[in-house]
Amino acid sequence: MRRLIAAVAGVALLVGSAGATESARPAHPPVGAADTSYTYTVGPFVAEYEAPPPGTYALPVIERLDDHPLVDSAGTTTTLAALKGGRLAVVAFVYTTCSEATGCPLAEAIMQRLDRRLADDAALARRVRLLTISFDPSRDTPARMAAIRAAFGPQTDWAFLTTASETDLTPILTDFGQPVAKLNYEDGTWTGLYRHVLKVFLLDEQNRVRNIYSTGLLNPDLVMNDLRTLAADPPGGKQ
Amino acid sequence: MRKTSKPRVLATVASLVLVFGAQQAFADETCMSAYMPKITGQEDYVYVWTVGAEGVGDGSDKLVTIDTNSKSPTYGKVISSVSVGGRHEAHHGGFTDDRRYLWMGGLDDSPIFVFDVATDPAKPKLVKTIDSFTKDSGGVVGPHTFFALPGRMLISGLSNANDKGGKSALVEYNNNGEYVQTVWLPDDAPYGYDVRVQPRLNRMLTSSFTGWDNYMTEFGKVVSNSEAMKHFGHTMIVWDAHARKPIQVLEVPGAPLEIRWALQPRHNYAFTSTALTSKLWLIEQQPDGTFKASAVADIGDPKKTPLPVDISLSADDRYLFVDSFMDGTVRVFDVSDPHKPKVIDEQKIGSQVNMVSQTWDGERVYFTSSLLANWDKTGKDNEQFLKAYRWDGKKLTPLFAVDFTKEGLGRPHHMHFGQNQFYKNQIYGGAGTRRSEVARAE
Repeated sequence: MRRLIAAVAGVALLVGSAGATESARPAHPPVGAADTSYTYTVGPFVAEYEAPPPGTYALPVIERLDDHPLVDSAGTTTTLAALKGGRLAVVAFVYTTCSEATGCPLAEAIMQRLDRRLADDAALARRVRLLTISFDPSRDTPARMAAIRAAFGPQTDWAFLTTASETDLTPILTDFGQPVAKLNYEDGTWTGLYRHVLKVFLLDEQNRVRNIYSTGLLNPDLVMNDLRTLAADPPGGKQ
Repeated sequence: MRKTSKPRVLATVASLVLVFGAQQAFADETCMSAYMPKITGQEDYVYVWTVGAEGVGDGSDKLVTIDTNSKSPTYGKVISSVSVGGRHEAHHGGFTDDRRYLWMGGLDDSPIFVFDVATDPAKPKLVKTIDSFTKDSGGVVGPHTFFALPGRMLISGLSNANDKGGKSALVEYNNNGEYVQTVWLPDDAPYGYDVRVQPRLNRMLTSSFTGWDNYMTEFGKVVSNSEAMKHFGHTMIVWDAHARKPIQVLEVPGAPLEIRWALQPRHNYAFTSTALTSKLWLIEQQPDGTFKASAVADIGDPKKTPLPVDISLSADDRYLFVDSFMDGTVRVFDVSDPHKPKVIDEQKIGSQVNMVSQTWDGERVYFTSSLLANWDKTGKDNEQFLKAYRWDGKKLTPLFAVDFTKEGLGRPHHMHFGQNQFYKNQIYGGAGTRRSEVARAE
């Protein structure tokens, strides 16, 4: 837990510095938490159950994904399929200046937990890629994604990706079914914030979505067992 | 964010990591999927899924939008109506997990109508019809509850195409309207009705009603047919929600209908009401993790068969509104002690009443009149309305009413809330058309 908080602290510093660069913007009323966040449940979500054991349930194919161009944190152009290869993947969409309570910071904290869990299971880790994809291409440059990556200190194959432009980004969000919207002031000026129903996606070896987790209700134990369930599938999967 | 200092961000994020979530100050409607964002504050619209009635307007099922913002010049008026063509026994529906689309079902020939409510919340638009539900699902009939899961829709069926009886299943589609899977209910508890998930416990509850052959038959004929009366559900199933596997079958005699999970932390229980036995039931998790069902109150005088229908639990788990169809009455129970509900208010809403929906703040409560086309009362007792009330914790005070017969609309049933602010300044990444829709159009 200490390592996790330390890494999140690093990200928070980056968030802070990004915020400071925006101070030149014309004066607008502050954006309250209620403007950026959605309400899901009453009170904090704490998973009060033991995740069902791996292999005791089915994960049907929810949807099939196309391939999409992405840019990695070294600035190299690649694609979703090329990054994944024939591996399983957990994909989280974020923007790095997000401070929404149940949004990106929580998703990233959970991705980091998965990274650490996978680091303890080398056989499984070889079959899994963690992918963090930004939906803020104008600010989340490869260099920024590299800085974020350094703050999280991945111990497994965890890539931090962005896109070359909103033109490249839009088909990805549409294909995954990841709603994202810029939150504007009433005069049409962008607040610098997004509203988004943040989801985390479990992909099988054939780039098919096998589960989707709501960030605010996400349980890392469940994701790990889902990964083990898919990993135990015969090659090609059950469906 | 610009106003947030670094230490505050750090503290916030650190506490998030510790609790795995965030305290939310406000939310909205109380029985929606926990996977779906709630609208906060004043609702601007109520969307009413309305059964077409012969000789009333165009006679078709329709989605009716009523202005519910008291500051609006059209407050309490119908501002939009979208007919879907024909009568399909319009019944229930639900939003997708992003709340951009409203899926509405028909219990007769099992269509699903998908409305876009995000582009213009004042004027929902029919964007897709799924007419292959029975074929897709391998024979399920009567899509009832639409419960949003992340990226998909969980639908409980009421019947099956084989014998039109009560054996049914849970069916899933992805948000594009593509079929995902069917999970048939177990042989020892085969009937379906409502389905609700409590994500915190990874537990899902289903309840049980009756099949097409009963719900499409006149109520008087069903009640007078002793054989037909044997074919009502008397069970609830506790499921492992993630695995979609039944864990426990609970005996809850008399057709348990709507399921309402408590909303507050550590409240590991749900309520339901039984239509035929007029009892309020508590389904509560025990210290060993299993669930127990107990009848905790009578609803009216069970000997008079008031026929309890919809129920609505307030966000603080204190008040439970219970409608009963035959006496057209709502009873408000104080369920602060869920084992000892007490009636604190009772009010006749009309000659018949079915659905009840309340806002998250609990201050406004909406009622509609229709149960099923063949079960609604006839003659002068066939009042068809939406009525809005204010609730002050002690009594209901009328706000406005819409006469659905006079307005040429039909029989109003399920209600959902819409709000302009929820969609304000939002631009969907896909700008409307999704890949699968393009493929289908081609």
